[in-house]
Amino acid sequence: MSSVNLPTDLIAHPDVVVPHLQAGTGEEAIRELHARLCAATPAVTHPEKLLETLLERARLTSVAIAADVALPHARTDAVERMVFAVGRAPEGIAFDAAHPRVQLIFLIGTPRDQVSEYLRVVAALSRLLRTEGVRAAMLAATTEDELREPLERTMKAGR
Amino acid sequence: MKSVTDPAGEFMRKLLRLLRWRLWIQEKLQPTEWQVTLLWAGLAGFLGALSSLVFTALAEGVHSVLSGSDLGVVESMRRLPWWGCLLVPALGGACAGLILLLGRRLTRKQSSTDYMEAIAIGNGRIELRASLIKSAAALFSIGSGGSIGREGPMVQLAAVIASWLGRLQGFTPPQLRLLVACGAAAGIASAYNAPIAGSFFVAEIILGTIAMESLGPLVVSAVVATLTVRVLTAAHVLYRVPEFKLGSPLEMGPYVVLGLVAGTLAPWFLRSLRQSEGFFIALKLPLVARLAFGGLLVGGIAVNVPQVAGNGYSVVVEILNGELPWRLLIGIFACKWLATMSSFGSGAPGGIFTPALFMGASAGYLFGTGIHAVWPAAAQDPRAFALVGMGAFLSAASRAPVMAVIMLFEMTLSYDIILPLMLCNVIAYYTAKGFEDRSLYSDVLKRKAEEQPAANAFALSRVSDLMKPKPPVMPANARFADIANSFLKERINNIYVTDDAARFLGVVALHDIKPYLHEPDIAELVIARDIMREDFPHVGPDQPLTEALGRFIGITAERLPVVAENGELLGSLSKSDLLLALVEKRKKPGEAAA
Repeated sequence: MSSVNLPTDLIAHPDVVVPHLQAGTGEEAIRELHARLCAATPAVTHPEKLLETLLERARLTSVAIAADVALPHARTDAVERMVFAVGRAPEGIAFDAAHPRVQLIFLIGTPRDQVSEYLRVVAALSRLLRTEGVRAAMLAATTEDELREPLERTMKAGR
Repeated sequence: MKSVTDPAGEFMRKLLRLLRWRLWIQEKLQPTEWQVTLLWAGLAGFLGALSSLVFTALAEGVHSVLSGSDLGVVESMRRLPWWGCLLVPALGGACAGLILLLGRRLTRKQSSTDYMEAIAIGNGRIELRASLIKSAAALFSIGSGGSIGREGPMVQLAAVIASWLGRLQGFTPPQLRLLVACGAAAGIASAYNAPIAGSFFVAEIILGTIAMESLGPLVVSAVVATLTVRVLTAAHVLYRVPEFKLGSPLEMGPYVVLGLVAGTLAPWFLRSLRQSEGFFIALKLPLVARLAFGGLLVGGIAVNVPQVAGNGYSVVVEILNGELPWRLLIGIFACKWLATMSSFGSGAPGGIFTPALFMGASAGYLFGTGIHAVWPAAAQDPRAFALVGMGAFLSAASRAPVMAVIMLFEMTLSYDIILPLMLCNVIAYYTAKGFEDRSLYSDVLKRKAEEQPAANAFALSRVSDLMKPKPPVMPANARFADIANSFLKERINNIYVTDDAARFLGVVALHDIKPYLHEPDIAELVIARDIMREDFPHVGPDQPLTEALGRFIGITAERLPVVAENGELLGSLSKSDLLLALVEKRKKPGEAAA
């Protein structure tokens, strides 16, 4: 059961949410979210390794899935379960030339063998962002609770 | 999010739609490698049937040119003047010899053209050119009225075409052998209008197994071949026979004796053919002269007994319908024996399957007539004995009693004689086996047994022998679009991911990405390394086959990557190839002992 609901639960309850990212670049954003994530959960067993894989992946090809949304992710042994962090940058962060103003960042770390789970989470996230009002509500959020609220509400409604 | 007119996005959506469509088809039809094999088997059957039809037409053409008549071989011999009877088979023999001689110049290297050998001990490769030359020569020995069967060359031809087809497709040795076997089954099925016998003959005698892995494709091929022949020609039951019924259980007694008789005669017949072969070789005539001499002898006999010419089919029909008086038949029987010795002994290319049917039919008829004379109640209809005699003789000569029962049934569609037929065939089989452990096909099969421990068992014992090199691969940073494209182009379910040095990294499984083919966002984001499975099982090139089979347990993959010790991806191993090879290996110890 838990594996069936895994994407919903994970997205509804991120390990950490950051309403105001300080970062100025994509790499800084990844580092910042990563640091907050590692502080929030012991599920990241090898923080450096996770960071390294996240950055390496982001350098390989773009991790942005829309003009204002990025989804840095890593499949790695450095986490013992799937981990999820959400960050918001109202001013926009330049991830790459094609995505100069990313405002929402979803960071995912997946254990190596959970290929289909990983795909399920990515698919659920992409559906979430297409849901009416979710993106606007997240961009308008100023506190952690406000940032969490649209996620929880939408995922529960979709269940 | 995304504008609808974005050409890249449009392309991606199109690609995903295609891939979804491909998956839908795949899931509805589920074409596993076995089913693909069945498709090829069907094609081999179709081509085999066509080649049989072409061969028949050509043989008839040669016959009408040589004898100046469009009638059957026996009938045209009857109409020819005595010198014509002598000349036509001699000329045909000379032509066949000439073709073989020219052929030897064209194909320098000594290579086997025998389909049984190619399946049983070879790698499924049959020399195309050498085989065609042999077939062309057979056209003349058959068309000129030689006492030899045309079905053998037809089967050979169908097998050659299958081998050629498989080589064009780059089949692995086990697949190729199976396809050649399919060709042979198609040849038999179309030559005798006998699909069941065609598939079982190849399974029983050549492959030595009726495991479904190999029998299935044989059946498909035989069915397609028979259908093709039936659609393209007015094919009919080969031997129309009157209705028989077992008058009383007493009749089984004489049938048992008939089994003993046929089981004794058949080994003699085969031995006489070999002796005749030795006789002709001892003459030390040049090839052309030897074949012409063989033809001349047949012609000499045919001057007085035209029934000996050809494979004997039309005479068998007459026997089965009781149109030949027994006194006449005794003479024909002896003359046909001699004529077949002449044709076969001189090396005329052709088969002896139908001549063997002739021997069985006449022996059975004569036996039945004899019993009827002394004890009418025990043999009410000598024609039934002719029919059963055919089967018994075939069973004893070919050592394939199952095939003989089925073939007799298919050729006559007479179920009434099935009980005596089965009993008689089995008795004939054991009797013949007691006399001599050689059959029509024993030479090939004996060599097979001898070569097994050395060449063959060794040849296909490791993964690298079955491996298909150069599987489709992609780099770890391949975009989703490239992955989707590859899945569309290649008929595979797993794409291997390698690094720059061709080292194996993992596998992208179509199964994993299947649910997300309608999500363009994922397609934008994901690259191969995000979704490849590093823990996918793989095999080493030097692993024994049984060990490799173990890696397939518990997974649905049809193929596994073959990875060298240094991590290099060498190729892929197919489960169906592996099973075929193992089925073949399994039956070997028993045969080697036999």
